[in-house]
Order: sequence, then structure tokens, then C-alpha cells
Amino acid sequence: MTAMSGSDPRRLVLGNHLAELNRLAVWIEGWAQDSVSPDVSLALQLCLEEAVANIIMYGAIDGGLEIAVELERRGQTLIARIEDNGRPFDPTQKPPPRLATTLKDAKIGNLGIYLARSFASHMDYERRQGRNRLTLRFDEPQAASPQP
Amino acid sequence: MEIAAEDLTDGITKVVLRGRFDTTGAVQVELPFNRIVTEQRKVLVDLSAVSFLTSYAIRVLLIGAKIVNSKNGKLVILCPDGKVAKVLKTAGVDALIPVYVAESAAIEALRL
Repeated sequence: MTAMSGSDPRRLVLGNHLAELNRLAVWIEGWAQDSVSPDVSLALQLCLEEAVANIIMYGAIDGGLEIAVELERRGQTLIARIEDNGRPFDPTQKPPPRLATTLKDAKIGNLGIYLARSFASHMDYERRQGRNRLTLRFDEPQAASPQP
Repeated sequence: MEIAAEDLTDGITKVVLRGRFDTTGAVQVELPFNRIVTEQRKVLVDLSAVSFLTSYAIRVLLIGAKIVNSKNGKLVILCPDGKVAKVLKTAGVDALIPVYVAESAAIEALRL
């Protein structure tokens, strides 16, 4: 992730508290109001909330967790990068949950990553220099195309 | 996030949730919601005024439905088509908890 100044509107640094999700939501809303379709707006809000909530709830190793989120527009596509210094976790390798067909059989939890993978157009993960780097892509409907 | 409960006829309790039912919103309403589903047997959860919903909210709804079902009761969701309904459907919630777009249909299902 490229180093950016603290005032860069494309970058938000979050701490290890669930209340930080409110700050994330307000920041995303600012982006979502800027010429983004309702579909991409929903996907962006849902995926970033799920990914960051997961890091805050399960990622801390010794309490010193830092999460940085960046957004970049490339034509009709939004790219989100989430970087954290927590425990290694690759959501792209997590198998999708088996969705229950009855309430009795339904297991509680494990839906956040599944929802993020379902709503993002594409998801990439790498672990580099002790940090998780998750990249999410959101294509506007007219820009969607098959993966190369 | 706000939560309010209202008694309807036939022993039905309508729970109205309002705002962002995201992680922090769900944490806020989890305890009062659990109290209602523990005490009631016919519960209509109205998500019409919910603007956004995440997996933690789904967790709260599923736990609530399981509690009500364990007492041979029933919990249904009222949710108009839109982004909240889209998230519920993607998560497969509509296969586990009845979801209605009209309040009259939701109430009728609880009367049965």
C-alpha cells in the first residue's frame, strides 16, 4: 500500500475498536454519494464493514492493531485495499459456508466473509511484510466483464 | 439504531428496528431484542426502516428465531424489496425465516 498523508481523502486509518466502524461507515458514505450506483454503494459498504469488523474482532495479536483502508476509482471500477498488521488471515481461502435449509440446522456466524465475497466483483489477498493486504474490486454493472 | 416493541392483536408482538442494522447497531439492540424473543411467542420483526444490514444483524435475527421456535412459537420478518432484502436473500435467511413484503401477510402468517 502506498504511503499517503494523513489528510488524504482516499485513505482512512482505523484503530482496534468496534466504534471505529461508525467512522468507516461515514467515510464510505462520502464515497458512495459520489457517482456510484446503488448496487456498488451497497457492495462497498457491506464488504468493507464485514472485512474490517472481522479484523477488529479476530485480528488482534497483542492489542496493537492498525487497519488502513484505501479507495481508488479506475473508470467504472472502485478498488478498495484493506491492510492490517493483525494475525494472518486469507479470506479467499475460506470455504463458503453450507447454507442451511432449516432454522434448526442453521449455524450461527461465518456469514461475513461469505457476504463480502458474494457482493465484491473480485477479491485478492496477500501477506507481505507481516501485514494482511486485501484488495476488493467493485465493477459498475455496465463495466462488469469476465475475469481474464 | 433504535428498537421499539408494540403489541398487536392475537398475541403478536411487532418489533420495529430503525437505522443501520450493522455491527455496532446490532450490538446496541441485541439485549433488548433477545429479551423480547425470550418473552414472546409470535414475533413480527419489521425491517422496513432499516437502511443497511450486515452479518452481525443476521446473527441476531437467527438467534432470535431459534429462541422463539424452541418455544413452538414463530418469528417472521417484514422487509420490503431493496438492499436489506438483497442481503437477507444472499445469506439464505429467507429460506430459514419467513420474509414478507406486506405487513398484512406477515400478521396472517403469525395468526395461523
